[in-house]
Amino acid sequence: MTRAEAVALALSLLADDDIVVAADGAISREAYREHDRPRTFYMLGSMGQVASIALGLAMTRRERVVALDGDGNLLMGFGGLAMVGGLKPPNLHHVVLDNGCYATTGGQPALSRVVDLAAAALGSGYRWARRCHAAGDARDALHSWLAAPGPAFLDLPVEAADADPAPRVPMTPERMAQRLRAALCDSRT
Amino acid sequence: MSGSRRLDALRAAGVGFVAGVPCSYLKRFFAGCNELPAGAYLPAVREDHAASACVGAWLGGRRALAAMQNSGLGYCLEVLTSLHLIYQVPLPMLVSDRGAPTDYEEHRVLGQRTRALLDLFGVPWREARSGEEDADASWLVSASERDGRPAALLVGKEADS
Repeated sequence: MTRAEAVALALSLLADDDIVVAADGAISREAYREHDRPRTFYMLGSMGQVASIALGLAMTRRERVVALDGDGNLLMGFGGLAMVGGLKPPNLHHVVLDNGCYATTGGQPALSRVVDLAAAALGSGYRWARRCHAAGDARDALHSWLAAPGPAFLDLPVEAADADPAPRVPMTPERMAQRLRAALCDSRT
Repeated sequence: MSGSRRLDALRAAGVGFVAGVPCSYLKRFFAGCNELPAGAYLPAVREDHAASACVGAWLGGRRALAAMQNSGLGYCLEVLTSLHLIYQVPLPMLVSDRGAPTDYEEHRVLGQRTRALLDLFGVPWREARSGEEDADASWLVSASERDGRPAALLVGKEADS
């Protein structure tokens, strides 16, 4: 399964009012191309901060917050796992699209090949964490992860190859932020 | 009332979420944060994570403040420059003002360049004054929200009120 297919599959399983934080780089661009939605926040930089942004949303909102993270991204901001595990927001669902490398910069291997990310999430205090082992199980794994008590973590392996790169999100960052904030603040729950 | 006039003033100015990493210059403030209702205070593990969590809370509709020692500004630079300053997200910051010549060595290099660093990235700042907590808080909120950017209130040891 390619990363873009995994992004599309995950987005197809969400409810309209779920809030998504998409990691900077390819994941944001693919999330936009596969299924743009007003309740997605597209990160451009600040690698390593996906879980932290999602946590700020989860602590202040009742809707489900879904973090679409990358393995290199998570490793850069590993302390974010401790904050989510320590605060235990029940509405936060965190998935890592794990290609085992830094694909955007040329496929250099990442330490996610040897570090057990799901065990780290569990050890940090997530209520549920799994690694999906076979691509054919991805749909079931995503279903179980979304149905699990939060905070829930899924390590989802994806192909490292990037045959069809998605273009940049054609929106100014200011517009990206304002669009999501307006969608949330016009419908307080 | 929290036992921290500084925190009470910021709450009265509409701050509904605080994320931060403690500093001994901000003991009274952080003691107050620990008494806040669930969901209003995030004890962050590092200052960049605190600033990022504030982006999430702001997107969620809260006025969100990051509190830290000035040494944490270094960790924050990436987040301030590639989140707040490009997405135009307001970030009121409470930053301890360490690094006087009499302070310990580890605080001096960054501490003595705190104002220059903030100026370099266009972050407005002002020195907090004990007894002026309400004025400080309204300045901080309006300075950050006027253009949607970070703004910093620098808190010396005597201003942790």
